[in-house]
Amino acid sequence: MNGSNQFIGLKVVLFTLIVIGIFTYYANSIPQLESRPPQELSLSKENLTPEALVQAGKDIFYGKGTCALCHAIGEKGPRAPDLAGIGARAATREPGKSAKEYLIESLINPTAYVVEGYPPIMPAVNKPPISLNPTEILAVVAFLESLGGTVDVKPSDIPSETSATPTSVAPAAPASLKLPGNPEAGKAVAEVCVQCHIIPGVGKPRRPRAPDLSAIGAIATPDYIIESILDPDAKVVAGYPAGLMPKDFGEKLKAQEFMDLVAFLMTLKGGSPESSEPGKGAQPAEGQKKEGVQETKASSLPVPEAKPAETEKKEGAETQGSKNPTTGSEQNKSQ
Amino acid sequence: MRKINRKVFFIFSLLFFVILLGSAFAQQPAGDQPMEYRAFPYIGSRQIMWIAAQLHLMFAAFILGVPIFAVIVEFIGFYARDPMQRLRYDKLAKEFTKLLLIAFSATAIWGAILTFLFITLYPKFFNYLSNIFSPTLWIYPFLFFGETFTLYLYWYGWEWLQGEKKKFHLALGVLLNLFGIAVLFITDAWTTFMMSPSGIDEKGNLVSLWKAINNPLWMPLNIHRLIANIVFGGSIAAAYAAFRFLSSKTEEERAHYDWMGYIGNFIAIQAFIVLPFAGYWFGREIYAFDQQLGITMMGGFLSWLWIIQAILIGIIFLASNYYLWIGMERIPGAERYRLYTRLILLVLVVGTLVWATPHSLVASLEEARKMGGAHHPLLGVLGVMSAKNTAVNIMILSTFLSFLFYRRGNKISRVSWAKTGVVIQGLILFLAAFIVVFYGVRGYFVEAIVRIGYSVYQVLAVLSAIILTMILDIFMLRNAEEIGPIRWGKMPPRSQYALFLVAITFTWLMGLMGYARSAIRQHWHVYGVMRDTSPEAFSPTLGFAADMVSICVLLFFALVFFIFWIGHLGEKTKILEERVEEEVEGITTAKLKGGYTA
Repeated sequence: MNGSNQFIGLKVVLFTLIVIGIFTYYANSIPQLESRPPQELSLSKENLTPEALVQAGKDIFYGKGTCALCHAIGEKGPRAPDLAGIGARAATREPGKSAKEYLIESLINPTAYVVEGYPPIMPAVNKPPISLNPTEILAVVAFLESLGGTVDVKPSDIPSETSATPTSVAPAAPASLKLPGNPEAGKAVAEVCVQCHIIPGVGKPRRPRAPDLSAIGAIATPDYIIESILDPDAKVVAGYPAGLMPKDFGEKLKAQEFMDLVAFLMTLKGGSPESSEPGKGAQPAEGQKKEGVQETKASSLPVPEAKPAETEKKEGAETQGSKNPTTGSEQNKSQ
Repeated sequence: MRKINRKVFFIFSLLFFVILLGSAFAQQPAGDQPMEYRAFPYIGSRQIMWIAAQLHLMFAAFILGVPIFAVIVEFIGFYARDPMQRLRYDKLAKEFTKLLLIAFSATAIWGAILTFLFITLYPKFFNYLSNIFSPTLWIYPFLFFGETFTLYLYWYGWEWLQGEKKKFHLALGVLLNLFGIAVLFITDAWTTFMMSPSGIDEKGNLVSLWKAINNPLWMPLNIHRLIANIVFGGSIAAAYAAFRFLSSKTEEERAHYDWMGYIGNFIAIQAFIVLPFAGYWFGREIYAFDQQLGITMMGGFLSWLWIIQAILIGIIFLASNYYLWIGMERIPGAERYRLYTRLILLVLVVGTLVWATPHSLVASLEEARKMGGAHHPLLGVLGVMSAKNTAVNIMILSTFLSFLFYRRGNKISRVSWAKTGVVIQGLILFLAAFIVVFYGVRGYFVEAIVRIGYSVYQVLAVLSAIILTMILDIFMLRNAEEIGPIRWGKMPPRSQYALFLVAITFTWLMGLMGYARSAIRQHWHVYGVMRDTSPEAFSPTLGFAADMVSICVLLFFALVFFIFWIGHLGEKTKILEERVEEEVEGITTAKLKGGYTA
């Protein structure tokens, strides 16, 4: 023993080196993957073809959007349903909603409808950690529409100001602008609107006759909302008749009331108003309410324009279940 | 006493200085453009932070894990009836604590280095975290001070607090652990907040400090780390004993360190058996918090990491079982179980192979074409969670069985129901194995969401079987007849290398799992809240991570070796002093007796 324990330190060191060497060698010999941060998509409206948009959407679907982690196309995924044929089915899901509008809503407010058999696990893609910008969301919509449907995302839908650089520190939110107007005061003004529109936290009509405004702040720009109040028939959401909204509504409001209303509508992101968790939707911060200033995204998605020709058909169409086609399995029934 | 004061003063001053410096950096003057990142020369910021964090974690894990079982060993000694046993366990607990004492300063130093690097290399990130957690940053150094102070009292008061005062000493040990656990829980809050941020609004501003601390992954990581620290502490203590065993010069020393190595390994493996369950809970909570985080962890770019993990855990199971089987050779009567150990070996090897089977094989285009895809027609079936969960649960049961055989090696039960007891134990273990296999096979025929739930049944079956069998065993072997005493010290050197292997593998595994936990955040400092925009905002490959882990493990062992060597030098000096004292006493006595002639 005495002879052998002379070099015991050396033996143990050698043994340690050999064992660690084997582990290191093995770890280096298996497939080497690196996880790079996703790149922001920035598309030029010029020369933008639907094909290019669909391709960009496909890249996002399998890349930055991380959609393919759960959704499969052509086979039923373990966590989320098959998206084959979603382009055709999306247009028939909700009366009055086009495929584009429905898909946008599904992407930014995915837990609104949860499909039986699947947990409500899909995150809002416009919020961290995915944080797709409006252009990227439209590209994904174009890609999803191409799965059995008609791509109707147009270059004009692409907002000109897309946040191209990721934010570096908390909060990881897109660039923002300050809107004059007190959302809290705007909420009181919005009480009139619930005669026809669904507005969370304010009320809902017995029979909704106008589009649901639950997520209007996430899918529309302030300009769009202002225009919709001042000139309601300039753009009519698919499935709803023109002339329903009073044309003089905007004129009856005082300037402050008008801005308060816009500021309030921009707070409606489709999430739970009580939530304070990141990525789960929230009310405007306390400080903002007091200052009467509301922060909102500089570049939001445009609400798709109405297609009067399709309106009649969709009003007559029966809803095949109020499931979200991007998170639900009921789509299989319509196949 | 002066020595203690100096050490305590040094550690506390260091921490205080770090906090002060942190606060100074965190409060940048208004209007200044905040510095987001600084580059560390030559090595790179990520790499230097990685090394500092990993080494701090390893030392911290050691100093948090060891006191838990040192106090337990001391308690066992305290309640032992046999005075010799009492002395033996007390000596062992003291020896464990000695290791702790030496590693304590290293933990503080690496903690300080880590904090300095964090403040200077990632100032904005540090600023954000310190804004969220500032009250905990103030409490933390005081807790650490409390832990340090209690440790020194615990160590230096060992001889003083004997006899009637022993209860106070035990209470000090418990207090030491309470401080340690509090320190661990606070640091875990910072770590898990980065993965599952809570208690903040959409802008990342703090809403509730308690929610930020008690985020969804906080408690799972607390429990997982607590158990892992015991495993780590046990395995390093066993490796230390193995080294001392191999370099022992007397039979007595060998017997002592053989026993110490056994206890260290016993503690490590007992805790290790429970660790996968804690890991499973942690993983499940990651999925519950954010599916993407979970999928990135298990099915994304990290998927191959779990194959390495399986191999490492397989090695730990095999090495620790091997150590037990060799150990049975020094137990008279244990040869009765030799046949079973061969079967257990077979089960462990098959289990490791199944667990380490990848779902998608690395294959050339031609090979993939022949296989009909990336999944092998046969092996692909084994590369899924149903098979892997089944394998690991069966491996845990097998290891437990090894311990049972070891435990009863030289004993013959005297109770009248001994045979019935053995049958019942067998039935319990068989039933558990059946449940594990049943749900493993059934998992192939159900939806993923249902399959995930099956793991819970498998885990419950195994845990229940272990507890029930152990309770029965305790009653069966009470006042059991002993065939012969365990021949401590009669172990071949190769058995000690099994202990080294367990320690090295577990340390490496710890580093790898640290990378996994951190890498699932990908390009986020705080997941979904604060993005990493530095040039190193990417998760490196597994190969790179393995290189880094190996560097950390080598540095850790080099430092441990150095620290223990210094401790050993201290021992030598003490022995020399005692000898000189004895000689002086002898000379004086001789002089007094008039028998000394110069």
